[in-house]
Amino acid sequence: MNVSAEVGVSGDRPDGPADVLIIGAGASGGVVARRLAEAGIRVVCLEQGAWHDRTEYRGAELDWELTARRQWSSSPNIRALPEDYPVDDERSDVSPLMFAGVGGSMILFAGAWPRMLPSDFRVRSLDGVADDWPLTYEDLRPYYERSDRQIGVSGLGGDPAYPPGEDPPLPPLPIGAGGLRVARAHSRLGWHWWPEPNAILSAPYDGRNRCVQRGTCMQGCGEGAKASTDLTHWPRAIAHGATLITGARVSRIETNSAGLATGAHWIDGAGTEHFQRANAVVVAANGIGTPRLLLMSSSEAHPDGLANSSGLVGRRLMMHPFANVTGLFDEQLESWQGHFGCSIESFEFYETDERRGFVRGAKWGLAPTGGPVNAALPSRAGAQVWGADHHLHVRSRLGHGASWGLFGEDLPDEENRVTLSATATDSSGLAAPELQYSVSENSRRMLDFHIEKASESLTEAGAHTIEVDRLMRYSGWHLLGTARMGTDPTTSVVDEWNRAHDVPNLFVVDGSCFVTSGGVNPTSTICALALRAADRMVERRHDQPVVW
Amino acid sequence: MNEISDEPPAAFAALADALVPAAHGMPAASTVVDGNRLAFVVQARPDLADPLAAIVAMPMFDDPATRLDELAAQHPELLAALHLVVVAGYYSDPHVRTLIGYPGQIVRPVSALDYPAYLDEGLLDRVIERGPIWRDPTATGHDSA
Repeated sequence: MNVSAEVGVSGDRPDGPADVLIIGAGASGGVVARRLAEAGIRVVCLEQGAWHDRTEYRGAELDWELTARRQWSSSPNIRALPEDYPVDDERSDVSPLMFAGVGGSMILFAGAWPRMLPSDFRVRSLDGVADDWPLTYEDLRPYYERSDRQIGVSGLGGDPAYPPGEDPPLPPLPIGAGGLRVARAHSRLGWHWWPEPNAILSAPYDGRNRCVQRGTCMQGCGEGAKASTDLTHWPRAIAHGATLITGARVSRIETNSAGLATGAHWIDGAGTEHFQRANAVVVAANGIGTPRLLLMSSSEAHPDGLANSSGLVGRRLMMHPFANVTGLFDEQLESWQGHFGCSIESFEFYETDERRGFVRGAKWGLAPTGGPVNAALPSRAGAQVWGADHHLHVRSRLGHGASWGLFGEDLPDEENRVTLSATATDSSGLAAPELQYSVSENSRRMLDFHIEKASESLTEAGAHTIEVDRLMRYSGWHLLGTARMGTDPTTSVVDEWNRAHDVPNLFVVDGSCFVTSGGVNPTSTICALALRAADRMVERRHDQPVVW
Repeated sequence: MNEISDEPPAAFAALADALVPAAHGMPAASTVVDGNRLAFVVQARPDLADPLAAIVAMPMFDDPATRLDELAAQHPELLAALHLVVVAGYYSDPHVRTLIGYPGQIVRPVSALDYPAYLDEGLLDRVIERGPIWRDPTATGHDSA
């Protein structure tokens, strides 16, 4: 990996204060930058990672399964690159996953692009747990649709798991031999299934290439077919005048005596400190990085951290406990190939049925099972065979698997939280985040139920062997809830438009703002919410308090 | 293992063969994972060099199975590194790939105009016939269907 500790500047170097400073160039930061820049707003973004060229990705190389386990691991603790910050997760049931760079964690995400469902926004009203969102699915639907067009989503309209709406802009991706087997099984069972929408191109779109089904999406897409904001948003934002500074690690957000954010201090790879002035600050640093930064920005006026009068900054961390159920089949499915976003999905058991002993539910996504190294090494469920029968073991697995990934709704708990470590630091000497996170009894019951049903699905599909990983430790892709939105400043950090209650020119636009987690991959919702927040910023720009 | 020779150390070869012996028409790991394959692995993953060196620097053993058991009990991180080195070296060999029927991650551009078999078979018809399954929040406690 070509890691550069040097500062890189895309666009014109800022001269004077920015209209808006964005911290983080990932999914939500890219969406907001593009929208604001296209509206003529002067945007500067600080990103601690680098801008990666897709020739760096290893998917087409012989070593892809080797480097996927280190240099291109989704765990910052395993990669341990200078631009990563370590996360103390000793007291967490799940290890968080992320990527620092332009495009953020989208660089390594699978590309699955489901939306949250209408009930996800009303869990208090419907199920008597957690909280309702201050907006509805219908409020967000136009932003989902606009975002889908920006991203280039491939999928099939008409899914009866969702209300009617605009079809995805591109046809669905192939579901592969494994997807077809399981789809037939669900048809026999009378269970829901649908081709999964993916942020992966099934046809050329917006100057990008279509998917070549290499199956290495989670090590970076060498074709540029998988969406990430370095491809879909940043080039347009920069063309409209935005400035993106990479290798820039923000250490704190500054405020003035009027209670307004004035900009952010940042540190370059050589350790030199800088200050970027701005009239408004947008934090887009993910559900761990954002509360970490707000907590690091404590001051005399904000002794418990910035925007934290509610005491909720860092609390209510949700990471979607994840189980994996893999079926092995006699038939050769070539399941090393295909896109790694899910091929098909099922919402059969998504909505609450209290007879099951828990509330809420889980989305299922069917994924391929990797190459020969993955087949040979101990499986997620712990299966390993060495000695003469190793060869039979590999032959029975390589290309013969189909894996249901089960994302269960993770209800918010204030004891699940991000704090600042007293001992661990990043390469700039800044306090590392520390997690305290326990999987709830509701989540465990939910996963047990869904594991049983997913096993039934794969058995019906003809699997001769079912293997289960009941709770994957390295599955914390979805970092949500640590600066929740709401209308009451005593019980939320940002308002329904992502503006901090305490600091009127500070916005949080990443997954931190989630009120509840839903039970689906969240990037589609993160992008839709960010687009909605950016629209509001543009509409209200003349009412926005300014500093400089 | 800072320098890779043409011939891997005897200790490595013995442990590799205990993990992946010749059987079922497949070659033993020691005949595949030569100096070139080891160099490939360590070049891709320089962090594996030290654990590999630590393993081969251990006192020689009589029974590789016993050494593997010792590693599992006392140095699981070294054993995990050994597994990865052996497997990555073995399955990156073209002949081994041919034997297991794995062509590598090949390029198959999506043809979006292909009519999917699931539509041809009517597999979505039953899903659609059931009607909406989403829960309508405006009809508290009831599904939309």
